[in-house]
Amino acid sequence: MVLKKLCVALMATSMMAGGAAAATLDIAIDSSPAGLDPHLITAFNSVLIVQDNIYEGLTAIDQGLAVVPGLASSWDVSEDGMTYTFKLREGVTFHDGSAMDADDVAASIRRVQSEEMASPLASRISPVKEVTIIDPLTIRFTLDAPFAPILSSLAGIAIVPAEMETDKDALQQTPDGTGPFQFSEWQPNGFISLTKFDGYRDADLPKLDEVRFEFVPEAATRQVGLGSGDYGILPGIDPATALQLKAQPNVTVQETRDLSYTLVGMNASREPFTDPRVRRALNMLLNRQDIIDGALFGAGVPGGPLSPALTEWALDTSEFSCYSTDVEGAKALLAEAGITTPLKLTMNVLPRQDTRDIAQIVQQQLAAGGIEVELINQEIGQFVQDWRNSNFDLFVSANGGSTDPDLYFYRTFFGGGSTNVFKYDDAEVNTLLDEGRNETDQAARKAIYDQLQTKLACEGPIAHLAYGTLSTAVNNDVSGFEIYPSGRLRSLINVTIDE
Amino acid sequence: MTPRFLLSRLIDLAFVLFGVSIIVFLMIRMIPGDAVAIMLGANTEITPERIAELEARLGLNLPIYQQYANWIWGVLHGDFGTSIWTGRPVTSEIAANIWPTLELTFLSVLVGAGLSIPIGAFMASARGNIAEIAVRIGAIAGLTIPSFWLGIVAIFMVAKFAPGWSALGYVPFTEDPLGNLSRMVLPVIALSLPMLANLSRLVRSAMLDALGQDYIRTAKAKGATKRRIVYKHALRNALIPFITSVGVSAGYLLGGAIVIEQVFAIPGLGRLVLGAISERNYPLVQATILVLTGTFVIVNFLVDMLYAAIDPRVTR
Repeated sequence: MVLKKLCVALMATSMMAGGAAAATLDIAIDSSPAGLDPHLITAFNSVLIVQDNIYEGLTAIDQGLAVVPGLASSWDVSEDGMTYTFKLREGVTFHDGSAMDADDVAASIRRVQSEEMASPLASRISPVKEVTIIDPLTIRFTLDAPFAPILSSLAGIAIVPAEMETDKDALQQTPDGTGPFQFSEWQPNGFISLTKFDGYRDADLPKLDEVRFEFVPEAATRQVGLGSGDYGILPGIDPATALQLKAQPNVTVQETRDLSYTLVGMNASREPFTDPRVRRALNMLLNRQDIIDGALFGAGVPGGPLSPALTEWALDTSEFSCYSTDVEGAKALLAEAGITTPLKLTMNVLPRQDTRDIAQIVQQQLAAGGIEVELINQEIGQFVQDWRNSNFDLFVSANGGSTDPDLYFYRTFFGGGSTNVFKYDDAEVNTLLDEGRNETDQAARKAIYDQLQTKLACEGPIAHLAYGTLSTAVNNDVSGFEIYPSGRLRSLINVTIDE
Repeated sequence: MTPRFLLSRLIDLAFVLFGVSIIVFLMIRMIPGDAVAIMLGANTEITPERIAELEARLGLNLPIYQQYANWIWGVLHGDFGTSIWTGRPVTSEIAANIWPTLELTFLSVLVGAGLSIPIGAFMASARGNIAEIAVRIGAIAGLTIPSFWLGIVAIFMVAKFAPGWSALGYVPFTEDPLGNLSRMVLPVIALSLPMLANLSRLVRSAMLDALGQDYIRTAKAKGATKRRIVYKHALRNALIPFITSVGVSAGYLLGGAIVIEQVFAIPGLGRLVLGAISERNYPLVQATILVLTGTFVIVNFLVDMLYAAIDPRVTR
């Protein structure tokens, strides 16, 4: 009896406590971030926390994936596409209270470009040759060649205080940006807390007092916690969880076409994938819709090298001749390439439920054409190591996408590109990639990327499978959240919690 | 207890910790995929310079024996290293995460050990009747049901039947006592149940053993009440193996806490070490395992001391 009374008292108290903490939003994510320096981080959870919340770039990407003003209120581009002059917003301050001006922008660009920092973002602004401060609120970038994706790239380059230019450690633990939320506390293994930045340039924003990113590795716990109101938002949930949460009355699942995609990677430096005919045959053996139905619960669409979310750029899959499943045609092509079946290969699998399921279906589909694949389910560390060392015949993985074709294509498909682990090197593709980044006329640029997509779809080292549905589950007490195809939490600035 | 006995146990303790430090150091490095690979991940723009810079900064470019020597030298001087991911001293990360684990373990021992005595005594004194059989079946179920399963079922039940109950995460007792307890109820039940079942059975068999002894017969002959015989005479003697068992179980609870913390999103040492292993956060894994092992060994050492104090024969 006493125990029962105690339980009732505890429940009542915790319910009352839940109602009082109205202006704190708890977001459950699966793991801790790997550092917080915006110029060094690569892990998605790090980016999710810092970009757009703590830091801002000169430009930003809106919900429709268009470039919009960020810390720069406007910009002019010279006719030859070689100089960009940015007008900075007035009255912007860093969280430490210092004013943000052109000095900070110049220092941030130098910081990303410096060899000592070894920033993974350096290649995004490699064509920026010179940065000139015109006045405290005007800055000019001079390029060494026209570089069409520069405005998209700059959205990902956070502006940090000038005195951080050579500091490699401080920002990893205590970030200092101009964004709507400022870093407050990092309890290792527990949470990261961001609080409202009172000096934000728009006095009415953000609407929340605090955002806490809770690290909750157990998927069932995240799911239950959302229903109980312990967590307000679960970003980037998998299709199976999305289906379950849709049935829950106090939860809304927001969905959008995902920029990220699942893929089969082929090692173009290893037999038999040195031959483009084999790469084409592999594509012909795949049935992408079956993969989506079987592994993604129907939540996705077949896609080529660019996400259908990039409506300005992506070609329809009907444009790709190898995308209609044709087992006999694939067999004939393999025979033409001198391949005797059964062909035995291995396929490394990224340790995620959806990629494991996809790998099994791909294995079955390839077997129909005489390609016998042994699946190697790997732990993440081993997977990354083999990926980095190009130690694979095939792999199944999931990649984040980019908002401009160049940002994805150049590093992935250019001979010697920074993520070209496939060791793919094609003279025609290299030329087109260079032309694509230097061309500033939109129609001409589109023609180049059309040509590239057509070639890469069937003969490139990646068989793009599906662009999933990006789902974020939101407790109904949370208002103002909007999902972005990039997966970023840019709309947190407008979020409120109902009393 | 002789000083020689005490000294020999202290030397054993030091050797165990030294051995563990070597095993942990080597094992975490034998797992494929190093810290740099995990930090940088797949599909990111990784330059060889960035990899080399990170390896040098983390000291991973040194030969393994030198890495161990540097680390153990630091440990002997109170420096357990720096977390690879946060750049903070691992001691501060352990300190920030140790309280939830200690509280969870302490409360579980309190519930598990505390309730096992009356339950075990009841089972012994009421042997064979229906209530005792029901409790015994319950004890077997408690031993066989995994804690994590019980935990997951519990949180789903809460979500279904008491959706307003904040059952996940951790709030320090000093900040919000009721909030703390409301979050601790389910994990403590899940964690303590196997211990309760085990110790109840132990108390029962020790009591049955004690109740068959000559001195109990003498007490009965002298007209002592049943209650006095059970609780005064038999229970007292049955507690000697019980104390040893509580010590060992407390150590194992630390292991169980790892899983329970994961299920209930409690930021304790268990979750810290699991996360650190998957992130290849070498200094954090090494230090946390050393602390967990040290706690286990020290608890057992204290139990040995207590046992030796109760029964001096063990020191001979």
